[in-house]
Amino acid sequence: MRPTKYLVAGLAAATALALAACSGGGQSATTGGSSSGKANPNATLNVGLVLEPTDLNVRTTSGVALDQVLIDNVYQGLVGLDPSGKIVDVLAKSHTVSTDGLDYTFDLKSGVTFSDGTELTAQDVAWSINQVKSNPKYVGNLQLADVSSITATDDDTVDIKLSKPNAELLYNLAGRAGLVLEQGATNDLATSAIGTGPYKLTSWKQGDSITFERNSSYWGPKAKVAKVVWHYYTQQSAAVNAAVSGDLQVVTPVDPTLKSKLDNQNGFTLTTGASTDKYVLAFNSKKAPLNDIRVRKAIREAIDPKAVIAANGGAGVPLGGPIPKSDPGYEDLTSIDSYNPDDAKKLLKEAGKDKLTLTLTLPNIYGTATSDVLVSELGKVGITLKVNSVEFTTWLNQVFTNKNYDLSLVDHSEAHDFSSWATPGYYFNYDNPKVDELYAQALASTKPGEESQKLAQAAKLVSEDAPADWLYNWTPITAIKSGVKGFPTDGANSRINLADLEVTE
Amino acid sequence: MIRFLLTRIALLVVGLAVASILIFFTLRVLPGDVAQVIGGTQASPAQVAAIRTELGLDRPIWQQYGDWIGGLVRLDLGRSLITHTPVADELGQKLQVTLPLAGLSLLFGLVIGVPLGVVSALRHRKVSGFLLSGAAQAVAAVPVVFAGVLLIVVFALTLKALPTQGFPLDGWREPGRALQALILPALTIALVEGAVILRFTRSAALEALGQDYVRTAASKGMTTTRALITHGLPNVLLSVVSVIGIQIAGLIVGAVIVEALFQLPGVGRMLVSDVGNRDFTKVQSELLVLTALILVVGTAVDITHRLIDPRERERA
Amino acid sequence: MSTATTRRRRAPGAPDWLREVLRRPAGVIGVVIILGLLIVAAVSLFWTPQNPFDVDPFHQWQGPSAKHPFGTTGTGQDIFSYLFAGTRTTVAVAFLSSVVAAIVGLAFGALGSLTARRVRESIAVLIDILIAFPTLLIAIMLAAVFGSSLWTVVIAVGIGFGVNIARVSRGEIRRVARADYVVAAQASGSGPWRILREHLLPNIAPVFIVQLSLSAAVAVLAEAGLSFLGYGVSSATPSWGRMLSILQNYVTIYPATVVWPGLAITITVLGFNLFGDALREATDPRLRRSRRGAGDAGKEATRVS
Repeated sequence: MRPTKYLVAGLAAATALALAACSGGGQSATTGGSSSGKANPNATLNVGLVLEPTDLNVRTTSGVALDQVLIDNVYQGLVGLDPSGKIVDVLAKSHTVSTDGLDYTFDLKSGVTFSDGTELTAQDVAWSINQVKSNPKYVGNLQLADVSSITATDDDTVDIKLSKPNAELLYNLAGRAGLVLEQGATNDLATSAIGTGPYKLTSWKQGDSITFERNSSYWGPKAKVAKVVWHYYTQQSAAVNAAVSGDLQVVTPVDPTLKSKLDNQNGFTLTTGASTDKYVLAFNSKKAPLNDIRVRKAIREAIDPKAVIAANGGAGVPLGGPIPKSDPGYEDLTSIDSYNPDDAKKLLKEAGKDKLTLTLTLPNIYGTATSDVLVSELGKVGITLKVNSVEFTTWLNQVFTNKNYDLSLVDHSEAHDFSSWATPGYYFNYDNPKVDELYAQALASTKPGEESQKLAQAAKLVSEDAPADWLYNWTPITAIKSGVKGFPTDGANSRINLADLEVTE
Repeated sequence: MIRFLLTRIALLVVGLAVASILIFFTLRVLPGDVAQVIGGTQASPAQVAAIRTELGLDRPIWQQYGDWIGGLVRLDLGRSLITHTPVADELGQKLQVTLPLAGLSLLFGLVIGVPLGVVSALRHRKVSGFLLSGAAQAVAAVPVVFAGVLLIVVFALTLKALPTQGFPLDGWREPGRALQALILPALTIALVEGAVILRFTRSAALEALGQDYVRTAASKGMTTTRALITHGLPNVLLSVVSVIGIQIAGLIVGAVIVEALFQLPGVGRMLVSDVGNRDFTKVQSELLVLTALILVVGTAVDITHRLIDPRERERA
Repeated sequence: MSTATTRRRRAPGAPDWLREVLRRPAGVIGVVIILGLLIVAAVSLFWTPQNPFDVDPFHQWQGPSAKHPFGTTGTGQDIFSYLFAGTRTTVAVAFLSSVVAAIVGLAFGALGSLTARRVRESIAVLIDILIAFPTLLIAIMLAAVFGSSLWTVVIAVGIGFGVNIARVSRGEIRRVARADYVVAAQASGSGPWRILREHLLPNIAPVFIVQLSLSAAVAVLAEAGLSFLGYGVSSATPSWGRMLSILQNYVTIYPATVVWPGLAITITVLGFNLFGDALREATDPRLRRSRRGAGDAGKEATRVS
């Protein structure tokens, strides 16, 4: 989400748009400046973030805000993702996939314990994944649709069988659907967390902060800092002020307009990272006049993505299609319906719609920069854009659930989320059987590279149908104080793995 | 007098009952619900419906109201629909920020407003009095956001005398830092409140100056200042008390803007965020508690009025 | 008693009170500011220095120049033109909020004072409850149901300030209603409407008008506060409050920009407040007389709170 000041950002955006999300891709990030003192094992790291989770329940509460801090650090799965987005074993010692892609076998590491001291067993793993599989309310449930059984075949082996191949299974198991919880634990998931990760959650002050401490019984290399405090700021300048006055050592994301305060200033360095955040201006393709593809194309051609990015402080790259650079199936589609206001006017004239009034419904957490640009750009081709800025909850109700809108603007931050374009009931109101078929083929592929190829074909079809304008892909800025090492900057808005974090004097 | 007290207390109870109905049903008009918030943008309609059933949101509305009131009678404020934690716990936690903030603001406001108000009334025909009330007018006109930002820039960023924003992690277990964190926000509110109090004090004092007994006292050789303080003060105080009664509501919940600007984890911000999340079981109890607080203060002010104001007392 | 009736005959004469207002420096400043606002608002309907909605993100955050006297924003909007056009929103919010506040205040105030004891006390309790409902929450709820717009702000502030007026004027109306001359009128068989029209309204009018000018000031401030929280007028309407809340975030980088909307709001609120105060002094016979140092304060003397 574009960081804005509003109060509601914490609550609403937290629930926004994501389940198991991870940027993957991009470079491994070791930023942190030049100081080369000794690592301080008693250090506390204070991190300034924007989106606070509404609660801590990884099973029932969706949203990147939870993934961002809890996955990898507190909760782990059989597999995880390395900084480049590749699948790596975490709780599994190794895993094998049968050639037909229907049988996954995981060997567990031994000596793994939960943060309360209980030893991890294959039963815990099977129980955890079965919970998600069998409870439609759980986040990640749909991702396990092709799974037919999850069994602990012995004390350290878990076997997952599929009814049909699914190229995304390991990726999904690396996210929410695959998180391993303790079967015998009785803690309240909404306010506490017991996992196998290098940190344990010690407190959550709603509306303020979450505190982690080193899990001293961690099975792997122990965390190199004693404490991590995540502070949530709804007011962007407050986070920067806190960093300047020394209360924070990391701020992510930094409002691009404020970045000069921390750009090689006050001991901070800035890194621009990758993300999978796609600012999607969706067109309701089932509603007149947007059911006319000429109108939709005209809107895309009327908008200069560079202007939108500039208005948002420059923290973004043009997108052109539904798949961002770090996801499988990416292709540069920015040449489709590229900026051309003259052609836009022509298209509108052809469609007999040279005087149009449309309404844009967007959550009020996004601020007004983007909508101001859209009003101005569309105005130049004769479209009067009315802006209806609503609470996120109202957006969920009106747009997402009831599909009652002309244009909608929302940041879709999830990675690997092409499925929404192959789900005709989704709020986009987009339906192309060819796309659905290509997506099914991509999922069912077992050969390396086949998934990406099919996804790329599907994405191109989607972009050519112009059911939306993908305004830009966000490139969030992270400010890190010298002495802090191993803080990831790619995908930091959706998942921050602090396994390698180190603070030197 | 006892009859008066009993009536007031009875009215208080009736007031709370009316408030509970008003709050409960007004909230239900809002579009969207907590199940959608929990489900987010990847949930299917069936998933959302399942969450709704689990939370009991599909039960008849009067039954939900009954449950709430039943709980209240047992002094149980209920639990959040999202975190399932008792509402009372979190409200208590947030009040630890907001009540001291309101108290401190009021204190600052009174310290600024009352003496200056009296002075400006005494000098209302002099240039200094004119300037004083002019300055108060100007300060009262500054929007809270602007005033707060200016204070942050001056005291926190430039002079580095006070923290910019935020509240210490350990709260009041670090009393020094907690108090420091509240000074600028309280001052922001107090600038505006103080200017309001100043104006009320001034006009009450002016009125008192015009009263026979003050004028008579003054003509008998007392200085005007003395006459005002000895004879006019009850009336001035009466006026100030009634202003505080009205302002206190605004102080507690109206602190939301200041809480947001200074990133304080207080009641106002929590309330706005809970309304946004449609966490109704939480919002309704929080609102009712605040309403109760304000009604109690209102009653107390009325009773004080009765005690101080001779005209009202005669009639009692 | 006699003072009340004499004043009633005199007060409604517009030139009279206006002359009184203009005799005071505060009144002159207030009137000048309000007139200035009205003129700018009217002009902005037909002409603004530049189109306030024109964005030019490639020329963002420019310093003051002949073309952009106050500089530009992060989207490259001309701050001067935007504030110029925003004047009409401010005027509309101030005026409409006062109208709603007047209606709410008068209705509740009258019901809470002139009706039978039981009704009266219930209304009093209702007013107390409504006062406990912060304006802000009313606005958020309205915005949630109807979407953010000028009307959300107007109605929320109107209700919020209206109940405050009711609480203040309730006591006032009762005081007047108990005054000897009203009691005498009642005894001589005047109906309630007649009493309301002939005795009450003229006597509470000063309190009321003063309250309205204060509510205009409150409305302008409330709009700024609501904008800050994301519940202001819709973004198609130019708003000082929104400009202030956008620019305040960048006060450490572009400190000069935030000053303009901040000053615009402050001056406007000051104008309404000064006018209200001068008006109160002008119409309040006791204050006026004490200024002249003569006369006896009538029993109907108002304590304007």
